[in-house]
Amino acid sequence: MNRRNRGSSSSSSSSRVSNTYGNRQLSDNPRAGSGGGAIDSFRRRADVVPVKRNNDKDESDNKGEDLTDVSFIVGTCSSMCPERERVTRERLRDLAVFERLYGNPSKSSTDLAVKKFCRTLSAADVQASDVRPLPVLEETLKYLLSLLDSREHPFEVVHDFIFDRTRSIRQDLSIQNLANERVIYLYEEMVKFHVISHKRLQSCSGTSISPMHHLNMEQLAKTLTSLYNIYDANRKSDSTHENEAEFRSLYVLLHLNPSSGVMGEPLSLWFRKLTFALVKSKEICFVRNLLRFYRMGNYKNFLSRIASEATYLQYCISEPHIREMRSVAVQYINSVCYKLQPYSLLRLSQNLMMKELDVESLCHDCGLETCTDSDGFTVLTTKQSTFRSPEDKFKVYDLIGIERMKR
Amino acid sequence: MAYVSMGEAHRRITEYLNRFCDAVSYQDSSTLCRLLSFSSNSPPLLSLADALNLFQDASSSLIRQSDKFSEYGEILAPLFRSLQSYRVGNLVEAYLAFDKFANAFVQEFRNWESAWALEALHVVCYEIRVLAEKADHKELTCNGKSPEKLKAAGSLLMKVFGLLAAGKGPKRLGALYVTCQLFKTYFKLGTVNLCPSVIRSIETARIFDFEEFPRRDKVTYMYYTGRLEVFNENFLAADTKLSYALQYCNPKREGNIRMILKYLIPVKLSIGVIPKDDELLQNYNLHEYTKIVQALRKGDLRLLRHALQEHEDRFLRSGVYLVLEKLELQVYQRLMKKIYIIQKQSDPARAHQLKLEVIAKALRWLEMDMDLDEVECIMTILIHKNLVKGYLAHKSKVVVLSKQNPFPKLNGKPVGS
Repeated sequence: MNRRNRGSSSSSSSSRVSNTYGNRQLSDNPRAGSGGGAIDSFRRRADVVPVKRNNDKDESDNKGEDLTDVSFIVGTCSSMCPERERVTRERLRDLAVFERLYGNPSKSSTDLAVKKFCRTLSAADVQASDVRPLPVLEETLKYLLSLLDSREHPFEVVHDFIFDRTRSIRQDLSIQNLANERVIYLYEEMVKFHVISHKRLQSCSGTSISPMHHLNMEQLAKTLTSLYNIYDANRKSDSTHENEAEFRSLYVLLHLNPSSGVMGEPLSLWFRKLTFALVKSKEICFVRNLLRFYRMGNYKNFLSRIASEATYLQYCISEPHIREMRSVAVQYINSVCYKLQPYSLLRLSQNLMMKELDVESLCHDCGLETCTDSDGFTVLTTKQSTFRSPEDKFKVYDLIGIERMKR
Repeated sequence: MAYVSMGEAHRRITEYLNRFCDAVSYQDSSTLCRLLSFSSNSPPLLSLADALNLFQDASSSLIRQSDKFSEYGEILAPLFRSLQSYRVGNLVEAYLAFDKFANAFVQEFRNWESAWALEALHVVCYEIRVLAEKADHKELTCNGKSPEKLKAAGSLLMKVFGLLAAGKGPKRLGALYVTCQLFKTYFKLGTVNLCPSVIRSIETARIFDFEEFPRRDKVTYMYYTGRLEVFNENFLAADTKLSYALQYCNPKREGNIRMILKYLIPVKLSIGVIPKDDELLQNYNLHEYTKIVQALRKGDLRLLRHALQEHEDRFLRSGVYLVLEKLELQVYQRLMKKIYIIQKQSDPARAHQLKLEVIAKALRWLEMDMDLDEVECIMTILIHKNLVKGYLAHKSKVVVLSKQNPFPKLNGKPVGS
């Protein structure tokens, strides 16, 4: 239809290639060497179906375009950061700590500089030399994730850097409309980053943590959505990608609470779109059960199932709800139990998959008093009127059973 | 395609052109509707299409050759192209041309002061949506492409909606029909998150009453907004809207009534309104709900689980699965009540004490194995949510029921928390 957003009249760059069946950076071998221009007309679906631009290109939406006739850039930048950007940022002393050569705020190198996320990008301004092709993006991500173990800097700083630079990776992927299997792997790793950050940010302190946390959640949701689109674009008949069920299950866990305000559609609608194979998968069945327990308020089954069956990623996303269910349990027990039979904290700790000392702490967080009974056991007297939801939104108590989870 | 002579083709095309232009000149909306309604597959339209396919591009010269026709050249040329493509099954081309036609038509509609062509505009809206759906379906099944034409149709509909909603009087009243077309589009695409902005425009209309809209449109509107409330689990609002739709729906339209009931029944069940018999379900062929209702009446958890499993796919697709799953707590309540009634018959003095062991035994009979900790957890929930009145003596492993009204009815409100 219309090519109005493409700026095609200014195509001086010879690396804009008309896309009908043209050179695409696709390869049948995942993560094979240099991904040369293998023309793969059998994968038309992956080529031509656009990855929905839910991530960062709010500017040049390609709505209403006739997709058989659109040109996508093929990037030619061979380092993690385009040369001209690196030079500019060196000059402006706009280098992150990780990018500084020997700590020098105005000197970087091709091994250290990583392309920044640029919000005001419009398709007409982009040059192929600024865009990194898939193999370079893969190396870049690998490098970025290796920084996660850095002990030199506080986690917030590490997170902030990787957060921004992975957003740039997603931007480059999107501009080039890359949506093949190798890209799936990249998105999965980026989702993992956001999930683990979600957990680790909670044990950090500082005023910037809460907005950081919120932004992280936002990008987590966006990255997940893009990942799902790519799964769909690569689907042959009713097949499911290797890790797809687990990554789909994360969406359910993000939306356990309908009023949580997390971006996305209500679960009832979301389930409609799942393939039969996904609905029946172990991971989706697992989270559907969790959903049922959560909505019912069944703290016992919710907590014990997570402890015994969740993967590490699922656990990380569920942490807020684990906190919630534990408070709910304390609330319920306080309100329904017979006043003359105080509730043993040991018993409570077993039901809530917590250490006994943590349970005591939780009760206090909820404004309730505990005491010792005549046998020396710590108990919670019930029907106290002072119950309130814990104030500290981020305090985490260990989940007994978490040790079995692979990280 | 039937054989048509050049002379006959010429005649048909010219006749159509005359009809179209006369309809516009005399503001004859109903004729115009008939002329634009592709999906009706009416013989005159089909025979026109055959004629056009014979003439091919020469038809545009026919349009240009007369001042009377060429005035509407921008509208007629793409309309003809669309009809030609439609006739030979080239649905994507048909859609693209129809989209051009529709845009030109809307432009012209803007220029006509009065709302005489409102009905025709509605026809255009309907046709473009249906055509887009057909084109997408074909693209999906033949080429595996995902739907984009319907998205584009949605943009056009949004444009028309904006135009009408900003207008006055009869133009404004015509906006609700387009809203409903938009709903159908968004629901089909799954982009229901786009509905709220449209709803806001309708519901903040201060100049006149919702009641002034045509009845048919109101029913459709309430149906879709009711469904949205179901997805968001606002059961009271869903009840109000879907009940309105049911009340004012034409009773002869059984298909539509069934569609409304499909969503209204789970909502009613969620607020504790259970049909006394199965007549409604049978009359409207809603058998998937039979076992669910039975489970609620009998307190049979196993039956509920079984029913959910049996129709899992159907419930997931229609989006009511999560709503029905939530009924579990009400089924538990009913079960507890049954245990209580049985105990009352054998030992009235102690009937108000429900031993956790007894409850566990009952659940085992229903093939649900739970340890006492789990049973205790369930009872805690039931008491807290006011489905059971009483308290839990956990050391004695007993639930002590209140002497008065130990199993309060929901009374039209969803289970609280």
